[in-house]
Amino acid sequence: MRYRIADDVAWVSQEDLDGGDVPTAYLTRVPRGMPILLEGSGCVVWLALADGGTLEEVTESAAAMTGANVEEIRDDVADLVDQLVVIGVVREE
Amino acid sequence: MSEHEEGRTAPIAARVHLAHAVVQKLADDRSIDVLHLKGPAVLPGLRAEGRQSSDVDVLVRPSHLERLVEALESIGFEQRTDFSTGSVFAHAANWWHDDWGWVDVHTHWPGVSIDAEQAFDVLARTSAPRQIAHWDCPVPDRTAQRLILVLHSARSGGTTDLDHAWLGADPEEQAEVRALAKELDAEVALAAGIGELELHRGAPTYLLWRYFAEGGSRLDEWRARLAAAPTVRAKAELLTAAMRVNQDHLRMELGRPPTREDLRERQKVRVRKALSELSSRVRRS
Repeated sequence: MRYRIADDVAWVSQEDLDGGDVPTAYLTRVPRGMPILLEGSGCVVWLALADGGTLEEVTESAAAMTGANVEEIRDDVADLVDQLVVIGVVREE
Repeated sequence: MSEHEEGRTAPIAARVHLAHAVVQKLADDRSIDVLHLKGPAVLPGLRAEGRQSSDVDVLVRPSHLERLVEALESIGFEQRTDFSTGSVFAHAANWWHDDWGWVDVHTHWPGVSIDAEQAFDVLARTSAPRQIAHWDCPVPDRTAQRLILVLHSARSGGTTDLDHAWLGADPEEQAEVRALAKELDAEVALAAGIGELELHRGAPTYLLWRYFAEGGSRLDEWRARLAAAPTVRAKAELLTAAMRVNQDHLRMELGRPPTREDLRERQKVRVRKALSELSSRVRRS
């Protein structure tokens, strides 16, 4: 199973906004969705999803970004990805 | 992760980026031609780093305006000003959305004098997609963006946009901007923006652009607008508008729809202000 950001999602991270140090992303399903805020580890997982990949690849990418141990974050990443799938901003393929 | 409540307190910059994507999606779904202007639509190097915009500006093909309005309102945007009251140039109207903030819809760009539909074609001819909020949004090319920013600066009495859009351009790029201004019949406005307005003293719009550059009283403004109005009918419409209180702006100022009493009071203030300007002129002369 591979995961990727859904086609109808627009998003912006603090890098685009010259924002602060806390990883932050705002996203929405255009044109009728509500704004959604992802902060901290949530944003890291989102950025890891930007390139798409299997759950393992997304977890490894998130771990690489934060210096965390893959085993330690595996369950949290899986939970968050599940939630993102449920609200329709991430697609399973 | 949190929805909605946090989103509504999202920083303006985030809202603006996402709102550009929202507008473009609406346009994509209905084959509406729009160009995204200013803010995150500006190409790198054409504005100061870190500068943020507080609203979304889009130029719509005039013949597609009705469809865009319908699309915006279908997702909860509310019109707050109309084209006749939005600005001196009657070129834009504003819509508000609780999540996405302000969207300014332009049907033409102040300073451009050729037919608005034709002007859109010229600006769209060399447009290219630029990702805003990871969404492809068509934006004018670098030359057109330079011209748009300079014209905006001219209308705003000079802004820092000029440093990047004009002073930062090399002679060849400036020549391209002049050529585009000629094609769009925007040479007087361009001249106002870059300090060459006196070369156009005989132009009907000279006084108007001088007013924007140097400021002046309301009487100066109306005299300039009358001089710039191309037809007798346009002059008559202007005079009528001059006497009328701008209900859209009054509503925004009051934070509620104005009552009949509010309008009467404001009308009195306008008349008093006009009389006071007149009498101070008489005293000066």
